[in-house]
Amino acid sequence: MSERTLEFRDALREAMSQEMRANKRVFLLGEEVAEYDGAYKVSRGMLEEFGPQRIIDTPISESGFAGMAIGAAMMGLRPIVEFMSWSFSLVAADPILNNAPKMLYMSGGQFGCPIVFRGNDGAGGQLGSTHSWCVEGMYSNVPGLKMAIPAFADDAKGLLTTAIRDDDPVFFLESERLLALKGHVPEGEHLVPFGQALVRRSGDDVTIVSFGRPVHFCLEAAEALEAEGISCEVIDGRTIRPLDLDTIVRSVKKTNACVVVDQSWSFGSPGSEIAAQIHQACFDDLDNHVMRVHSADVPTPYAWNLEQEYLPNARRIAEAVRSALYVA
Amino acid sequence: MSITLTMPRLSDTMEQGTIIKWNVQEGDEVASGAVVADIETDKATMEMQAYDDGVVAKILVGEGTQVPVGTAIALIAEDGEDPADIDAAPSAAAEAAQVDPTPETPEPSTPAAEAPTAPTPARSAPPASGPGRPRVSPVARRLAEEHGIDLGSLAGSGPGGRIIKRDVLAQVNAEPMAGTVETAVPVPLAAPTAVQEVPALESAAIEVSGMRQTIARRLVESKQTIPHYQVKMRFSMDALIDLRASLNEKLAAEEVKLSVNDFLVRACALAMAEHPMFNASWAGDRILAHRRVNVGVAVSLSEERGGGLVVATIRDANLKSLRMISAETRSLASKARDKGLTTEEMSDATFTISNLGMFGVDDFTAIINPPNSAILACGAAIEQPVVRDHQLAVGWEMAANLSLDHRVIDGAMAARYLATLKSMIEEPMRLLA
Repeated sequence: MSERTLEFRDALREAMSQEMRANKRVFLLGEEVAEYDGAYKVSRGMLEEFGPQRIIDTPISESGFAGMAIGAAMMGLRPIVEFMSWSFSLVAADPILNNAPKMLYMSGGQFGCPIVFRGNDGAGGQLGSTHSWCVEGMYSNVPGLKMAIPAFADDAKGLLTTAIRDDDPVFFLESERLLALKGHVPEGEHLVPFGQALVRRSGDDVTIVSFGRPVHFCLEAAEALEAEGISCEVIDGRTIRPLDLDTIVRSVKKTNACVVVDQSWSFGSPGSEIAAQIHQACFDDLDNHVMRVHSADVPTPYAWNLEQEYLPNARRIAEAVRSALYVA
Repeated sequence: MSITLTMPRLSDTMEQGTIIKWNVQEGDEVASGAVVADIETDKATMEMQAYDDGVVAKILVGEGTQVPVGTAIALIAEDGEDPADIDAAPSAAAEAAQVDPTPETPEPSTPAAEAPTAPTPARSAPPASGPGRPRVSPVARRLAEEHGIDLGSLAGSGPGGRIIKRDVLAQVNAEPMAGTVETAVPVPLAAPTAVQEVPALESAAIEVSGMRQTIARRLVESKQTIPHYQVKMRFSMDALIDLRASLNEKLAAEEVKLSVNDFLVRACALAMAEHPMFNASWAGDRILAHRRVNVGVAVSLSEERGGGLVVATIRDANLKSLRMISAETRSLASKARDKGLTTEEMSDATFTISNLGMFGVDDFTAIINPPNSAILACGAAIEQPVVRDHQLAVGWEMAANLSLDHRVIDGAMAARYLATLKSMIEEPMRLLA
């Protein structure tokens, strides 16, 4: 196997293209995905290969095209819906939350909804508070959906391939800040199963759990903390639903300390849920309560310096780790 | 309600105990404080006292039987109870007796278990501040239970005096020096090891004593976890042998008879003062340097009494004269062989000497006695051809073989320690000062 390197965005496209070649029922729709190659060039060249029937430019109407795609999924197709930003999915809340995840349940098993919603999530860099949504907190609250949030290019391909083949609606959260990140991506079929976290860095003193872009903040913090003699184990959860609690608990039983890093707001978030589950699963192994690092509890600031401080950045993670370990 | 006596935890590392002898029978009256049984722990044979008045209603565990700590071993009828009515429902009774009603004491030990435990002088930390329960992190509580540490003896370093993991681990690391006994020591290879049933060899499985099991467990642990290495030096013993003969002759009337080993104990202790890493322990992520210099002397026990060996501790050996060391060693050795040593008499050694010289052994190596960082194996002083002042001569020589924990002591440090020791042994008048 060659160590082939791809950008995160190209890994996403490779997953979609390979699945579309393999399964005629898979198609992509969204704003500017066809003629413009995608607002972030994720779908570059796909229109040429697959034609306008399978790479569909939609009007600026998330509620309309998301609803249409859900109908298609119910009838047996496997749509991939690109939201230019997950911030724009809010106007499609009814179809994506009220229809897709509940359809199998409400139809008594008659209609499933094998659909992927994907797009940029989180602060992209001075996009302002209405375009910087982290939807993990709100959407992961809903039963019936799955949620994947890759942090590296190989997982972008592997998790998206799994998402397209999954029979349930998958909310696939990308980050604009990671699209140009390069990494080794396996050629050919590459599947990363849902519900399997990955230990990105081994350590003994503290477990740091995160998802998506903040995993990189965690690794940066771990590097800095190593110089202080603190050994961090960084776990990339990869999917929030299903959640791989086992890997987290195994690590916490070793380190006795845990920091959860989640870019959504703290109240009613995946971070608070994971902290609660850790307390429940391994209370007797904890030397301190689980610490959480979230985006600050304010609308995302526009100013660059404020936005950087708003994020769960490496400095704030390092502070939480020291606090968890009773260091200074 | 009858009182259940359970197998007490008589040392920090004790997990099971054997009832060597019951001093009471069913129907006997017992008073609080009376010695009801002799219990063999992994370290020593100790007395078990009653803590209540009553009549022995039922003896549940017979002599020679080994049971885990906390197992019900006897039932006592209280005042007004008819012993005959008390039925052995040991499991329920034992469980009831083990539930400790005081939340401050997380150890599931009975009152009877706590009192006879040797005092632990190192536990000088004040109890956690504030009224009521000490604040303890969950994992600290669990670790304390696992290691049998009394949370009340710890000062918490977390917020509001919360006892956290590092507080417990610090105590765990300090513990072997503070409260427990380390009986494990180099074993002469006389141990019966064939316990497998190999018919062709007609082997017999020999039941082993608690002491033998402790030796086996502790020495495997030592040899497997400590990076051992050896450094050897030969000492000229002429001056020491002359001095010893002269002193013994002059002091014979006072019944003083110094052994070569007594000189070695004193020399090692004085050398430790100059080389503090020889009086230290590896503690996981740090080294504990001990202030007291306690030299352990390995004492072998007779085969008739089951063999084995113990380490008798000469406390503050650097502060004691040869005469004091000699008297103390002699008394401890004879007590060890006669009726056994107490926990206190075997605990807290910071360095150990194993001497097989009296058996004519020329040279051997020993296994470190954890948590020591070094052990000195001494052979016999032997009269042999030596080179003195470029001339072949006849002189007394002794081989001293140090086994060292490389985590604490490096080769050059060992060489310097041996050089100090050599200068003291070869100019033994220094040991009289």
